[in-house]
Amino acid sequence: MSPEIQLAGIHPRSERLIDLTRSYERAKASWSQVEVQLEQETKEVIKLQESLGFGHFSDGSLAWQDQLRPVTRSLKGVESGTRYSRWFDTNTFYQKPIIVGKTSASDIDPKNFLRAELLTGKRERKITLPGPYTFSQLSENKHYKNYADLLVDIALAEREIVQKLWNEGVTLFQLSEPCLVYQPYRESFRDQSEVDLALGAIRSVVKDSPGEFVVQTYFGDSALLLPDLLDLPISGVGIDLFETDISSLREQEKTPKKLVLGVVDSRESFVENPSWIADTARKFSEKVGAHNLVFASNSDLKFVPQEIANQKLEALSKASKLFERT
Amino acid sequence: MTKLFPVQEIGSLAKPKWRTKGLRQRLSSQDLFEAEEWAEKLGIQDFHDRAKSLLNTGDDKERVKAVLELSTLYGLRLFETTGVDNDGVGGEQQRVEMYEHVIKAVQGMNLLGHVHSFDNKYFNKGVAESRISRKHSVYVPEFLDVKKYAHRAVKVPITGPYTLVDWSFSGYYIQKQHASSPKTRKIDAKREFLLDIVEQIIRPEIRDLVNAGATWIQIDEPAVTTHPEPQEMELFVEAWNETVKGFNCKFSDHTCYPSEIGYKVLAEYAPKLDKCDQLALEFANRDTSRLGLDEDSREGYSDLNHFVNAGYKGEFGLGVAHVHDFTGNVSSGAGQSVGRDLIESPELVRDRLLFATKIVGDPGKIWANPDCGLRTRTWDVAFAKLANITKGAELAREAYQ
Repeated sequence: MSPEIQLAGIHPRSERLIDLTRSYERAKASWSQVEVQLEQETKEVIKLQESLGFGHFSDGSLAWQDQLRPVTRSLKGVESGTRYSRWFDTNTFYQKPIIVGKTSASDIDPKNFLRAELLTGKRERKITLPGPYTFSQLSENKHYKNYADLLVDIALAEREIVQKLWNEGVTLFQLSEPCLVYQPYRESFRDQSEVDLALGAIRSVVKDSPGEFVVQTYFGDSALLLPDLLDLPISGVGIDLFETDISSLREQEKTPKKLVLGVVDSRESFVENPSWIADTARKFSEKVGAHNLVFASNSDLKFVPQEIANQKLEALSKASKLFERT
Repeated sequence: MTKLFPVQEIGSLAKPKWRTKGLRQRLSSQDLFEAEEWAEKLGIQDFHDRAKSLLNTGDDKERVKAVLELSTLYGLRLFETTGVDNDGVGGEQQRVEMYEHVIKAVQGMNLLGHVHSFDNKYFNKGVAESRISRKHSVYVPEFLDVKKYAHRAVKVPITGPYTLVDWSFSGYYIQKQHASSPKTRKIDAKREFLLDIVEQIIRPEIRDLVNAGATWIQIDEPAVTTHPEPQEMELFVEAWNETVKGFNCKFSDHTCYPSEIGYKVLAEYAPKLDKCDQLALEFANRDTSRLGLDEDSREGYSDLNHFVNAGYKGEFGLGVAHVHDFTGNVSSGAGQSVGRDLIESPELVRDRLLFATKIVGDPGKIWANPDCGLRTRTWDVAFAKLANITKGAELAREAYQ
């Protein structure tokens, strides 16, 4: 069976949509014009996934202004809108969530997360959410004296978000946890006790939640953390193969879990050769002993123009077929 | 400069509609209505003669040149009218934006399309498709117009080599690497690309600017603090020192929106930057919007301690006004929240300057400025913010003296 291909986060907007949103900012286009284009483009992203043989469908999250915002806006005790911070080492920014009170789920509007009505007929729906550890790490905590308490409360709130999205037909939840492997914003890298807290928070999101969960790491080397991640009660783990050295990985005793290979680089415009992708995946598979593979980009493709993002997805699709043949 | 707390701009202003339209097509007198209003406000007395000449120009090249020159004049006068002591290049009216403007002048680079920056803001990202070289001058034509009209000191902001490389796709440079690890290939490509940008693009540009009379060049390096790893910081220092080597003019660095530890790391390396006379930094974005000289009220400025403790001896360009959308609360007396804008009160600016003085020690080392360029704000808002910065600087002078 050929590896499944999946979107791993926010897909880039087209030049047309970019023009419209800019015109909207300058009061030269109405929001309804933007919405019409958003809807059309979301349909196109879904159609592209169909044509490339995806198993789980995402709406591309084209309306998301940053990777945290829909979650930020769904939480009580969290303010935003006064401060922008850089998204890791990219030239993109997010509105920093400011934790000002006890955090819990507020009025969760699934429409802020997903265009479920455009995914009609798609039985397997995927959404990408920031994991609780990453969300808390990228927030400014002005309330909790004990970081662990913040982490638990965010996890519990995310569990409610998951439930709401399940009701909208989402079956696969990707929890993105780049902060587990990459912390350029901190003086010292997290220690094992913090990893334990983070893994505990992920367990809290997953516990008794419907659906399938994948924890995606990116922008950093996940070799050392992989065994811990595979121990989580989730269906799969995502690895950035542009940051993780395959030769440093250990055999995972033929894990039955899915390994989501970030094998096209969302931060570089060069479109990877399908043969190289298939070869890299094969080396990974041989080294780790994993056979349940998913091909994806290492993170949100929003860091490259849409045309290139689409070419990268096509390369993944071709690579998946090449991988199957060998 | 003997005046305490002089005020400077950092870079860009929004482009007026007539400026944007005038680059594409002929303008009508109606298009210049807004320009006429601002002409009165900014004291541009020969507006009608200039407008007449602009409207009568049939030649596209002449029109574009006239529009760019006029918008530069407007930017300079806006800064002057609000009391700014250093007018920069009039709000970078002759540049598309800080990245694309340079890339268009680079042989071997191609702009691939827009990528998301934040909210509904994007930038056109380039890729190196072959070894790079300079096609034409990037900043000199603008500087020559500025020289004609500036009544005050001029600082020329340029985009730094580290940022240009960091915001580009490496393309050619990454494909020619042979290391087996993708990570090593990326690092090797970045260094080679960076040193080429310094030698082929930035140094020739600085040489031309200095020869044309520039005495202060601000190197914008917002990307540097996004990679606080030692290897990257050493690379930044190497590129900076190579960039300024042998030139006889004032240099300053502008770095904004760092990661949480970004300024702490920059502080460690700042003393290693040759000829870096000033660091212009963003603080208002992370500060509270309430009055006060206590550490809690001025929490946004705590990172200044790192630079002082690390032994940086130069000046500081202190970000005292926010330049992005603001939808939070403002305490009494600290300013006004208007729509998506915060207009800081002079008293808030004063408190920020005085608090920074407590940390830096020498008030003669502190300039007041917005966090970054004001291109995302309207001219009305930019005017109000800058006017309040100059009033706040005056209040700080009074309080200090």
